Amino acid sequence: MPKFLHTADWQMGRAFTRFETEDGAALVEARFEAIEKLAQLANEHQCDAVLVAGDVFDAQTVSDRTIRRVFNATKGFVGPWVMLPGNHDAALAESVWTRAKRLGAVPENVHLALQPGVIDLDSQRLSILCAPLTQRHTYGDLTEPFSGYESPEGFTRVGLAHGSVQGLLPDDIDSTNPIAPDRAEASRLDYLALGDWHGTKQINERTWYSGTPEPERFRNNEAGNALIVEVTGPGATPNVTQLPTGRYQWHQWRQTLAVQSDLEQLLERLDALPESAVVELRLEGSVTLAGEETLLKALSVSEARFRSLRCERSGLQLAPTDDDIAALKADGYVGEVIESLRQRQEAAQDDAARDALAVLAGLLREREQEASQ
Amino acid sequence: MKLQRMRIEQLRQFRKPFVLDNLQSGLNLIHGPNESGKSTLVRAIRAAFFERYRSTAVDDLRPWGDSAAAPTIELDFEHDNRNWHLTKSFLQRKRCDLTVGTETYSEDDAEEKLAALLGYQYPKRGASKAEHWGIPGLLWVEQGTGQDIEQAIEHAGDHLKSALNSMVGEVASSGGDDLIETVRSQRDTLLTGTGKPRGDYLQLEKDRVLYQREIEELKERVHKYQEQVDRLGKLTQDYDQAEAERPWEEAQRQLEDARTRYQQVERLEQQQHQEKATLAQLQQNHRLLQQNKEHLEGLSRQLESRKAELDRAERDLSTAQAQTPMIAGRLQEARTGYEKAEQRRKLAVLLQTRERLEQDVRRLEQQQQILTQNLAKAKDYHQQLEQARQQARDNRIDSAAVKKLKATANQLNEETIRSRTIATRLSWELDANASLTLNNEPLTGQGEQQLLEESTLVIPGVGTLGITPGGEELASTRRKLKTLEDSFAEQLNTLGVESVEQAEDRLSVFESAGRTLKHAEDLLKSVAPSGIEQLVTEQSEAERELEKARSQLKATPEPDSKAQVAALEEAEAAFVQAGTELDKAESDERGHQAKLSALQQTRDNAKTEWQRLAEEEKSPERQQQLRQITTDLANIEKQQTELQASLERREREIREARPDFLKQDIERYQNAANHLRQTQENRGRELRDIKVRLEAWGAEGLEEQLNEKEAELDQCNRHYEELHRRAQALDLLLTLLTEKRQALTRRLQAPLQKHLNHYLSVLFPEASLEVDEQLRPGTFSRGSELGQITELSFGAREQMGLISRLAYADLLREAGRPTLIILDDTLVHSDSDRLEDMKRILFDAASRHQILLFTCHPEKWQDLGVPPLDIQASKEQAAQSL
Repeated sequence: MPKFLHTADWQMGRAFTRFETEDGAALVEARFEAIEKLAQLANEHQCDAVLVAGDVFDAQTVSDRTIRRVFNATKGFVGPWVMLPGNHDAALAESVWTRAKRLGAVPENVHLALQPGVIDLDSQRLSILCAPLTQRHTYGDLTEPFSGYESPEGFTRVGLAHGSVQGLLPDDIDSTNPIAPDRAEASRLDYLALGDWHGTKQINERTWYSGTPEPERFRNNEAGNALIVEVTGPGATPNVTQLPTGRYQWHQWRQTLAVQSDLEQLLERLDALPESAVVELRLEGSVTLAGEETLLKALSVSEARFRSLRCERSGLQLAPTDDDIAALKADGYVGEVIESLRQRQEAAQDDAARDALAVLAGLLREREQEASQ
Repeated sequence: MKLQRMRIEQLRQFRKPFVLDNLQSGLNLIHGPNESGKSTLVRAIRAAFFERYRSTAVDDLRPWGDSAAAPTIELDFEHDNRNWHLTKSFLQRKRCDLTVGTETYSEDDAEEKLAALLGYQYPKRGASKAEHWGIPGLLWVEQGTGQDIEQAIEHAGDHLKSALNSMVGEVASSGGDDLIETVRSQRDTLLTGTGKPRGDYLQLEKDRVLYQREIEELKERVHKYQEQVDRLGKLTQDYDQAEAERPWEEAQRQLEDARTRYQQVERLEQQQHQEKATLAQLQQNHRLLQQNKEHLEGLSRQLESRKAELDRAERDLSTAQAQTPMIAGRLQEARTGYEKAEQRRKLAVLLQTRERLEQDVRRLEQQQQILTQNLAKAKDYHQQLEQARQQARDNRIDSAAVKKLKATANQLNEETIRSRTIATRLSWELDANASLTLNNEPLTGQGEQQLLEESTLVIPGVGTLGITPGGEELASTRRKLKTLEDSFAEQLNTLGVESVEQAEDRLSVFESAGRTLKHAEDLLKSVAPSGIEQLVTEQSEAERELEKARSQLKATPEPDSKAQVAALEEAEAAFVQAGTELDKAESDERGHQAKLSALQQTRDNAKTEWQRLAEEEKSPERQQQLRQITTDLANIEKQQTELQASLERREREIREARPDFLKQDIERYQNAANHLRQTQENRGRELRDIKVRLEAWGAEGLEEQLNEKEAELDQCNRHYEELHRRAQALDLLLTLLTEKRQALTRRLQAPLQKHLNHYLSVLFPEASLEVDEQLRPGTFSRGSELGQITELSFGAREQMGLISRLAYADLLREAGRPTLIILDDTLVHSDSDRLEDMKRILFDAASRHQILLFTCHPEKWQDLGVPPLDIQASKEQAAQSL
């Protein structure tokens, strides 16, 4: 009985904003490595085929190099790959696929499902019912013809589609490329492999989103997996195994600091994260000048440790205590300025006032350090 | 603060102890000449406070050549109701002791205590310099530096502020100004003076725009690419569909169909055309036959008309012939009239000729007679003329010569008479026989002779007597007489006369003859103006003419009868009239003859025609022809009817087939087929073009580029935001710091300004001196003048400097700070008026502060109202006391 690997949404050719150049490049590289990892998993689990449910490429016009590298990365698994065009790489009259073919980059074992229809993998006794996107957006259910598709006797019927299952996905209520939730049952499919949702998600016992193999954004839980699907017999419920493939874990934290222990807790959590983390922090509330100094030191350490760390502190107010001010020896009118900035910051959520306070504190600290030396 | 006593020892020229005692709380005038130690005292006070006791840089305090000296200064002063005693030794004995009330301080503690009291600082090493002097630097004015107030205030800076703190009740920031400078310099790396981005911040702003533009361009290109892809999809679909349906073939088929139908119509039109031609031919035939028929049928009618014509010609002829005799008669009549008139005219001419001739004869006869008379007269006159001429010739004499002769004669006479009166008179009475010879002339008898010349009188037998008439006049008279006699003789000779009388007679005759001659000539001219010969000729001429006229008259026949001879003019007119009438008659006759022959010709022609026609009319062939033509006509008409029906039928057929629409259909189908084919070809071409284009564009990886660019923009944006926020923060911080600092300064400005104005009003009643942020006297205005202190004259600056220092002193005093004012030979550049004002100011200030005024010009300050302290005197006094 056949066993195959289900993956989707590779989004190759995507560049990462919000990161430093070096970090962005590493994240891109990780996506190529993810494909190699998929090939490796397919071999390890003796899969008969790898099914990619759309959005192999992030865009139609990616560089030749990216195209070649994507197909090169599949070399590890010599069994059949079936790649389905999704909304990012729809099989238009001219598409990334036609270019890949023109480049001669597509290996023989990679089947491109550019037309709706059935791809029969005879030796694997697998019938892949394909619903490729041939336009950027469709408003009808492309999997509807599945019911009419015949497959050879004894072949496992696997649907391959890209879109949003109606009524089940939280964010995609009005989304295009709709897919009926009961497609697998209605079209007598043993399994329906879906793409478009970047997290791993089960719709029903025969219908799954595999999610992207390497996370590429902070939202979407359960990204960074592949599914191994084994169909034990005709009509049997498939065994679906979720395997982690992602290299980096993306964390987006939003934390409000109020008391000293909040800061300590945050730093402990940060400390606990592995080095492969991609972290985005958004801090709010307020911190004393001494607390901010501690925070900055800790962030500096973490920045060096993690793949990427970004911390948004514009919502974090500075609340200098009398001790702070005494420590800074801010007497006379400088003291007045600090007080004035603190009031402005509290009254109007004035970013400039907050920043000015930070700058002033920094300068005074430097002065104190010089004086003490 | 009040300095009470000062003692120095082993210090410069004060090797021995010197005490300055009894210093007053107000003004103290301390004077001494140069080198008396005035400056040394000032130096000593400064050293006591400013120089570290252990300083090695105070060699100048050492007395000349005394290396073992320990310059020592003792000061007693009172401040805050406590007595302060300071003893400070340098060099050989480094020592500093301070007693304040009951407390004692020594060494560094003592020094720090003093510095804190007065507000100055010590140098880290070496000699104390202006920048260390703080507040005393402001209040203790060294010689010649009174005008340099700014520098002094700057050095006093923080000391002043902290000293004045208690006044404003606030804490001035320590090092706040440095902070401001740091913030300003950091802000200025990001922002320009006006708050515009600069440096990296500006670059990022520019980069951002650049990225955005690049992204826009890429997006545009991606958009174009996608459009092309869509176009490709659409085209491919259309192309394939067209290839499957091949719509141009249907158009082609319809085209063929239309063509066939059009050809049919064309054939019909051709037939129509041919039949129309046939019909036209038939119509032509019909017309000709009709004409023939009409011709034949018209012969009899023609014959009649010809007969009528003939008759009319005959009638006309006979009418004309009947007129002939009348016309001939009229001609004859005219001829006779003409001849008669001619006869009459000739006669009239003859008569006239005769009359003229007769007149001629009469005239010529008369002329002849006159000429003959004239000739006779002429001859007579001529005779007279000749005679007169002869006479003139005979007596011709020149009247002028005669006149001259007469004159000469008169002259001669006169001279002769004169000569007689003067000449030597020789008179003689000779015996009858006696003779004498005078000038070879014998003299006899009695006589007398006037001798005018030398004469010789020979007396025979006696000898010769010479007589010489006397006198000059006689000689000239004698010569003149001789000349006149000669002239007279010669004139007579010339005229050919004997005497004057004769000459005159001749002249009279001559003139008479001339007159006669003239008269005769005039008469002759009146009868024969051209001479006698001419007259003779004229006469013979007249004779001949007369002869001729007479012979002509004789030759001219006399008319028969004198009666009925009309005048010539009348005859001429009648003759002309007759001529005209004859011409008319002749012309009428000729016209009549021509008409006659024409009429005859017409009549002959008509007759011939009529005869020919009459014969033809009667021929049997004509009857046959007429019948044949009638038959033919009937045939032709039938054919015509048939043809017209056929034409109408076909015409309808053609019209119903709408050949114009058919033609349009052909064009339309043709265009459609072409267009459809062309469209498909164009699709094919565009497909290829788009494919090629997309291949090229696709190879650029546009969207991937776009992604990368967007990432770069994002990064740029983030950096920009960071700098932006930092710039905003620094700007805000700078603004706040500056504001706060200004606010503080303003709080100090007001009291300082008040004190400044207090003094200034004495010096310049209308002037004002503004204090700036640094608490420095800045803008000075007096009336309309406005300027900085530094722009004033040296003297004025020095005065302003002193005023400012006093104002500071007042301010410090209010803050409870010690205020000792030391002036070393100040105000030397002030004129006497100003100096007077400054004295008032100083006197006023002295009511609040102790002032030590050192000078070497005591006379200038003697009106200060304080007893001067003479150093020289004190020194001597000290020496004595020792």
